[in-house]
Amino acid sequence: MRHVRAWLARLAGVFTGHRRDADLRDELEAHLDMETAEYVRRGMPPNEARRRAMVASGGLTIAAEAVRAQRGLPWLESAVSDLRYALKSLRHSPAFTAVVIITLALGIGANTAIFSVVRAVLLKPLPNRDGDRLLYLRQSIDGPAGEDIAFSVPEVRDFRAGVPALGGIAEVSPWSLTLEGDQYSPTARIKVGLVTGNFFDVMGLHPILGRLTRASDDGPGVPPVMVLTEQFWRSRFRSDPNIVGKQVRLDDGSATVIGVVQAAPFFPEPADALMNMVVSPHHLSATMVLGRTHRMTEIVSRLAPGATLEQARAEVATVYARMQHDYTQSYDPGSHFRVTVLPFKDAIGERARLTLWLLMAAAAFVMIISTANVVNLTLMRGVRREQELVVRAALGAGVLRLRRLLLVENLVLAVLGAATGVLMAIGGVSLLTLFAARFSPRASEIHLDTVVLAFTLVLTVSVALLLSFVASLPKEGTFASWISAGTRRTGGLNKQRLQRGLVVAQIAVSVVLLAGAGLLTRTMMQLSEVDTGLKTEQVLAMQVQLLPIAKIASGTDVRAADAAAKQGYERIKQQALAIPGVVAVGVGSLMPLEASEIQLDVKVEGRSLGVGEAMPRADYRTADPDYFRASGIPLVRGRYFEQTDRAGAGWVVIINQTLAHRLFPEEDPIGKRIAWTGDVLRFTPISGDWRTVVGVVGNTQDGGLDAQPRGAMFMPFAQELAMGNTVVIRADSNVTALAAQATSIARRIAPATPIDHVMTVAQIKDQSVSPRRLNAVLITSFGAMAVIIAAVGIAGVLAFSVSARTNEIGIRMSLGADSARVQRMILGEGGVLLAAGLALGVCGGFIAAGVMRGLLFGVAPHDPATFVGVAALMAFIGIVACWVPALRAARIDPAIAMRAT
Amino acid sequence: MADKLEVQQGTLALMILKTLEVLGPLHGYGVARRIEETSKGRLTLNYGTLYPALVKLEQEGCIKAEWRQSENNRRAKYYTLTAIGRKQLAHETRDWHRTADLIAAFLAPRREGEAP
Repeated sequence: MRHVRAWLARLAGVFTGHRRDADLRDELEAHLDMETAEYVRRGMPPNEARRRAMVASGGLTIAAEAVRAQRGLPWLESAVSDLRYALKSLRHSPAFTAVVIITLALGIGANTAIFSVVRAVLLKPLPNRDGDRLLYLRQSIDGPAGEDIAFSVPEVRDFRAGVPALGGIAEVSPWSLTLEGDQYSPTARIKVGLVTGNFFDVMGLHPILGRLTRASDDGPGVPPVMVLTEQFWRSRFRSDPNIVGKQVRLDDGSATVIGVVQAAPFFPEPADALMNMVVSPHHLSATMVLGRTHRMTEIVSRLAPGATLEQARAEVATVYARMQHDYTQSYDPGSHFRVTVLPFKDAIGERARLTLWLLMAAAAFVMIISTANVVNLTLMRGVRREQELVVRAALGAGVLRLRRLLLVENLVLAVLGAATGVLMAIGGVSLLTLFAARFSPRASEIHLDTVVLAFTLVLTVSVALLLSFVASLPKEGTFASWISAGTRRTGGLNKQRLQRGLVVAQIAVSVVLLAGAGLLTRTMMQLSEVDTGLKTEQVLAMQVQLLPIAKIASGTDVRAADAAAKQGYERIKQQALAIPGVVAVGVGSLMPLEASEIQLDVKVEGRSLGVGEAMPRADYRTADPDYFRASGIPLVRGRYFEQTDRAGAGWVVIINQTLAHRLFPEEDPIGKRIAWTGDVLRFTPISGDWRTVVGVVGNTQDGGLDAQPRGAMFMPFAQELAMGNTVVIRADSNVTALAAQATSIARRIAPATPIDHVMTVAQIKDQSVSPRRLNAVLITSFGAMAVIIAAVGIAGVLAFSVSARTNEIGIRMSLGADSARVQRMILGEGGVLLAAGLALGVCGGFIAAGVMRGLLFGVAPHDPATFVGVAALMAFIGIVACWVPALRAARIDPAIAMRAT
Repeated sequence: MADKLEVQQGTLALMILKTLEVLGPLHGYGVARRIEETSKGRLTLNYGTLYPALVKLEQEGCIKAEWRQSENNRRAKYYTLTAIGRKQLAHETRDWHRTADLIAAFLAPRREGEAP
């Protein structure tokens, strides 16, 4: 207690000390007077008395100094004075200070922002209990859309029985429902996961309200229940704390909200809510439960206690090999069926990983360049300050003290830079969150939290330390030589070498960044040139699902509901056609350029699968006679559908060029008969009857501009169930303006049906490339930053070299060198640095391009045009940067230069 | 001339506290005089030793200071013992006696086998 009190008093003393100095002087004077008076009283002459008293005191100044040391905290006081000194000295060189702060802010800001994303999306442990033991299983086959084909219930059952290393297998089946409007929000489509009772237990999640599903929620005949995700509860139900127990109305049923689950990422589909299987009679039907090829279920699992990932992988492989052996019908060898067992965290970070590490590397490069620049600036400033430091050393400041002075100054610079950088990062993080949401379900976890700020702090302090230790200080005992060295020093050969090395590094790193930016920009250019396959972009698509999927799945009264839905679409078509400017209106199952989620096996009449040949697959799509014209899909052979292709008439089909080429490489497909095939048909309302090919249409870039071409089969809308849900409207111009009118027509005809994705084809196209574009923009802005910083760096170093060599240049000129020659000399000096940097940078660029191969499209990693362009750009900027100091050198007046010595 | 002793910080604090307890409120000069007299001139205190010790005791709350008129009408800063200071004095006195006894016993001219 006594010590705490004393310490607080001393701390206060740091700030009040100056006031108390006068008091202390008075006190010491009084002491001296009293002592003098005493000596006088003893009979000493006053002068002698005063002298004796002074001698006995031991010196007033020394005493005052000792008291001051006791009164405050000397180290803190000297730190405060260092800080004061640092601020003063920085104020005296505002240009230097501003450049350093901005440069560091760019580097630190970029790194802080990108690191916050990398940490949230890739590094942070999952919020789930023992999240690192959580697994994701994926079944894949060759071909487009084959990467994740999900599992069937019998497959899940086999894994459950045969893989002891998996402690609990939970099923989740992505599903979509219409949630009717209530006191909280209007009607909307929501994404749900249909889960088994053990799902939350396996996932290791806990409720924040109510309870989660359990084994008693499994199977038929139980009440439907809904668990809300934290985010959905907040937005849709306005965080109602009394939500548990309430009923919600869905499609044609209802469910009870039983709880809210903690915030956590859901994968592979994001979910608004999780429900038990009873919600979908289809999921409990014999077809689903018994059909080995009816794959609609995703698997999450958890390593059993003591089991390792390797064990799990080996056991899964064994069981899977047995399955393929026992059920050859369900796994055609040509498609290469395979199952991968991935840590859940890796699985959900998979799509973001390459992009994010690339951005992190780019940000690190910017940091390297900006640090190199600041080091260079500091070195140059250090040379100018040498005299000051020498004087300070001569006046008694030790090397340690000088070092501390520099450290405080650099800390001030770094902290100011970091603060500015963090402000920039705060702005950037919200943008990056939107960006990351395209790649990862963990985007909502992106925050500038303490770990991120700690990272920033470490970065900041490291920079300050680095800056403080590159500056050379007079060594103890060599002050004399420093002082006698006189007025002008050029910083020595080593330091110049270091500066030049840094410039070369800056240029090299800039070239690497520029090469990355160039390749990504070229990728974007290539993508924008990709032909969508559509003849026009004046197309508006609007998703209106008049026949609920749940209705189809339930299997009761489907015919009547289907007829009603088709009438609804007909009315929407007629009214949309009446809008002025509309040229054609069609209805089909999907938006143009949208990939189908239904992929089925296809067979050709009179032909069987060759040995080792992969089963042909095609996207299931429907279209009415006007769909192709409205979407702008060109006819290659045969005919479009006609009104006569109605229910009950002959089964007909239109295929796209990819499928035509796959099925009939040598023949004319028109008139041939093909059919859907495979076990899975039994579980769908899709017929396996032979259908006559009546037309071939052009390929369209379904699933994105960078997607592989997919085979597609179009059925007449009238001959299928109205699983179709898209109205396509084509206008002669400015189709965007029609969105509101089209929406209101659909709203009038189907007031209770949610309307989604009212988008033009241009928007659909844009959406498919926007993550890439943002990526390209980010890397390009990093590249631009780097080039600017590097240009400032090279110009600065040359300018410094010129000013340090003024004397030498003066001598050269007076000996006959003309200004052109001097200019060439300086340009040459810069040119060597530039060439070295370019050479290194191009090599580095090749390596970087190889790493980012996966992010490129339509451009080779070693694309010569890009590399030549990048090198030329850097060379141009570099030469301009050299020119300024070179011109200055050429203008040196020899007379003045030599006198200035 | 008698040997002059360097005064140690810890013992100085004890001396100051004791002086203030015996003589009541006193200025720095008075404290110094008293300590020098009590030590019969073997201790001398220069300002650089005395005043930091006074500041430290003040920071610890053992003494408090105020400006007053001295007996011969001079302004001087007087130090007064506080309640904390009294407790501290009692405590340190006890400690000091213990230590002194211990050291004395240790250094007593006594040989192995001799009766204590």
